[in-house]
Amino acid sequence: MDKTKDQQKKLFQELLMPELGALFRTALRMTRNREDAEDLVQETTTKAFSAFDRFEKGTNFRAWIFKILTNTFINNYYRVRDRDKLPSLDEMEEESLFQPVFEGISPEQALLNTLTKEDIQKAIDVIPIDFKSVVILNLVEGFSYKETAEILDIPIGTVMSRLHRGRKILQKLLWEYSSSKNSFVEKGTEEEWTAKKQ
Amino acid sequence: MDCKEAVEKLYLYLDGEILTPQERKDFEEHIKTCRKCCEKFEFEKNLWNLIKSKCIDTPVPATLITKVITVINSF
Repeated sequence: MDKTKDQQKKLFQELLMPELGALFRTALRMTRNREDAEDLVQETTTKAFSAFDRFEKGTNFRAWIFKILTNTFINNYYRVRDRDKLPSLDEMEEESLFQPVFEGISPEQALLNTLTKEDIQKAIDVIPIDFKSVVILNLVEGFSYKETAEILDIPIGTVMSRLHRGRKILQKLLWEYSSSKNSFVEKGTEEEWTAKKQ
Repeated sequence: MDCKEAVEKLYLYLDGEILTPQERKDFEEHIKTCRKCCEKFEFEKNLWNLIKSKCIDTPVPATLITKVITVINSF
């Protein structure tokens, strides 16, 4: 029996298992499909173990394996035609003209109260991949700007601008989902709404 | 720090990034004294915490655990 190989497998498994949940949910939001997400994590595991002898022990395993996951997704799963299914970026970034009206609570509190897991997942699924990757890595998985930049091979400034736009798009979608659940919806600009609240 | 600057720094503060200790202190002082910025800050903080908590609430399928262990053992 190859003792070194067995030790490597044991160490790899010890490092991988605590990250499996994060890898799976990231794969799920990227592929938007449970079967593909499982395949993507499986493929990531194969690639990561194959390259494990090049991984510098004591460095950031989490960032290292997320880099393999995102590269594998872009190379093997992401199809440019997926872009066609999405609304245009301009459309997504337009300021929302809808603000729900609620009795007794602020619209912000109402949004927080009514948002479901499904609303949030649906909104993340719709965001274009460049923004989605940054939103997931930074806001959901807690990677720093620097780690996110290294995982995606982009400058920190790009991480910051994509994160800013990703947040804006996500918030607009969530306001729309929240508005659609309430029958009392009125049109108005953000300034009109702020003035009304005061 | 004025409201414009506070809004610009809000996400950096929430993300725990880049701001110097003095900038963090100035931001916190502004939030304490400005109701509008404080409301915006609380809303943003709660919204992103909510998004994170809903997203991480995704269990790993048992089938995936089996597949991953099989992959490792196949080497």
